[in-house]
Amino acid sequence: MLNIQKTVENENVICALEGRLDTVTSPELESELSAVIDGAKSLTFDFEGLEYISSAGLRVLLSTQKIMNRQGEMKIVNVNETIMDIFEVTGFSDILTIE
Amino acid sequence: MEEKIIKLTGRIDSNNAAEVENSIMAELGDNKDVAVVLNASALEYISSAGLRVILRIKKNFSDIRITDVNSEVYEILDMTGFTEMMTVEKAYRVVSVEGCEEIGRGANGTIYRIDRDNVVKVYNNADALADIQHEREVARLALILGIPTAISYDVVRVGESYGSVFELLNARSFAKILSQEPERIDWCVDEYVKMLKKIHGTEVPAGKLPDMKETALSWAKFVKEYLPEEAGEKLVSLVEAVPHDDHMIHGDYHTKNLELQNDEVLLIDMDTLAVGHPIFELASMFNAFIGFSELDHEQIKHFQGFDFETAEKFWHKTLSQYLETTNERKIKEVEDKARIIGYTRLIRRSIRRKGLESEKGRAEIAFWKEKLIELLGNNDTLLFCANELELEAVTENLDEAQAFVDEHLEKADCPMKAKMQIGVAVEEIFVNIANYAYRPEKGKAKVRVEVSGDPVCVTITFVDHGVPYDPLAKEDPDVTLSADEREIGGLGIFMTKSLMDDVTYEYKDGQNILTLKKEI
Repeated sequence: MLNIQKTVENENVICALEGRLDTVTSPELESELSAVIDGAKSLTFDFEGLEYISSAGLRVLLSTQKIMNRQGEMKIVNVNETIMDIFEVTGFSDILTIE
Repeated sequence: MEEKIIKLTGRIDSNNAAEVENSIMAELGDNKDVAVVLNASALEYISSAGLRVILRIKKNFSDIRITDVNSEVYEILDMTGFTEMMTVEKAYRVVSVEGCEEIGRGANGTIYRIDRDNVVKVYNNADALADIQHEREVARLALILGIPTAISYDVVRVGESYGSVFELLNARSFAKILSQEPERIDWCVDEYVKMLKKIHGTEVPAGKLPDMKETALSWAKFVKEYLPEEAGEKLVSLVEAVPHDDHMIHGDYHTKNLELQNDEVLLIDMDTLAVGHPIFELASMFNAFIGFSELDHEQIKHFQGFDFETAEKFWHKTLSQYLETTNERKIKEVEDKARIIGYTRLIRRSIRRKGLESEKGRAEIAFWKEKLIELLGNNDTLLFCANELELEAVTENLDEAQAFVDEHLEKADCPMKAKMQIGVAVEEIFVNIANYAYRPEKGKAKVRVEVSGDPVCVTITFVDHGVPYDPLAKEDPDVTLSADEREIGGLGIFMTKSLMDDVTYEYKDGQNILTLKKEI
């Protein structure tokens, strides 16, 4: 189960996630993002409600990061400790902007 | 040896001893090769002169016993040592069960409440005294092994049959509780499963109880003759493959055989006690709640007092709690195995009761047979592992596999963080199997969860029959590269290795076996 809340203001996109970002839910996020990301200058993920992330979720973050590198910036806020551990283990903490 | 019954009546003392002796001797005649039965039901008193008569008879007829002795006469025989010299059987108290409440019905008898504090189990069989003896022995054994039960303290005569009397103070059967207070179903299931686990956790010394596997095998061999060849052979081989098990099973564990006495839960009706694999117990439970009433839902009301819907609910909750899972696939898997033995038993029972000679019986047998044949086609073992789940390896089943693992982790009080890390690892491995093991076909995967040791270690094993593939052989991604340099993918196995304490792979007997270990 993944709940995706998107807020688009001009060229700024905020995307709050709640639940699980896994093999089953990652494609949903990917398609939701592709609808709003075009031309966005900044993308912020709010992970306050995110409980779980697997490599499928990381893959979406990585591909989104690659897109945003070309057109603006991307950051993730409110990352909980367990998810932070996953980012560290996988080296994602070095390539993502985490606040 | 021929039995000669002599009736002793009234008083036998020095006034009439000689006369009594003469008449008995005359009645017995010259053939010394008979067993003498002195029926004392009408004997009021016997003095030492009378006892000497019996001794003289014993000299000529060594096989002698005294039966139906009232308690006053029994006391005399006991004091004078006669009870040690020969068999002396007390007169049985006569009890009537007319108008008494029926509180239980088992394979060999019916239990009635005769007053507030006592119940009597009336046996159906002709050889009731042997049954009573057997039940008393097994009940005693169960009690010694720690199973709370009632042991009979008296044997009584009930009509043409015998009964054994138990003290059961103010007790209520679980069937009654469920009928009267259906809202207590969860409490009932709790207690019912607790007792079931206690029974199944009790090891019985060798040879003390019959082996349920032997019984089930005899059912299977009987029913085999009425099934298509392949199905019949499979049925027998499935039962044969069940390993011997020294743990106790009750054999007739339904809600009329569990009583609540004050706050204590008591198991009754112990004559079917046996040892064996729990699948045999579950089979008889399936029959009690579902099997017997599957075609005619009214049956359960006569039998247990509650309706079929309650029975279904109770059975399902019981199985879920017994297996400690809410996974429907797992519950169904075990239920199906129980149904194989359950239907086998029902078919045999009906055929032996001339079921094939009536239209109703033939319809029932055909119904059970159809189900049985279908089940035999879908099952290759009667064994089950509560901590193992087999399911099709497709990503749609990922949630189910993870939830199954989570249930076991929660039972082990696994911390949130470890739970999530294990969840990630389970996802990576399961999705890997789903995507690659059987491509482009589909196939099954097994997930087994073991929690053991101190500090607690969780071991999760994945087994599939797909193409041999060692995911660990793949080189780790370079996690120091920048986002643009990094490739999308290849992370899953690396994460699994990083998050778990140990990950091993082996290809054995045509199976990929991947094992994850983590201390929690």
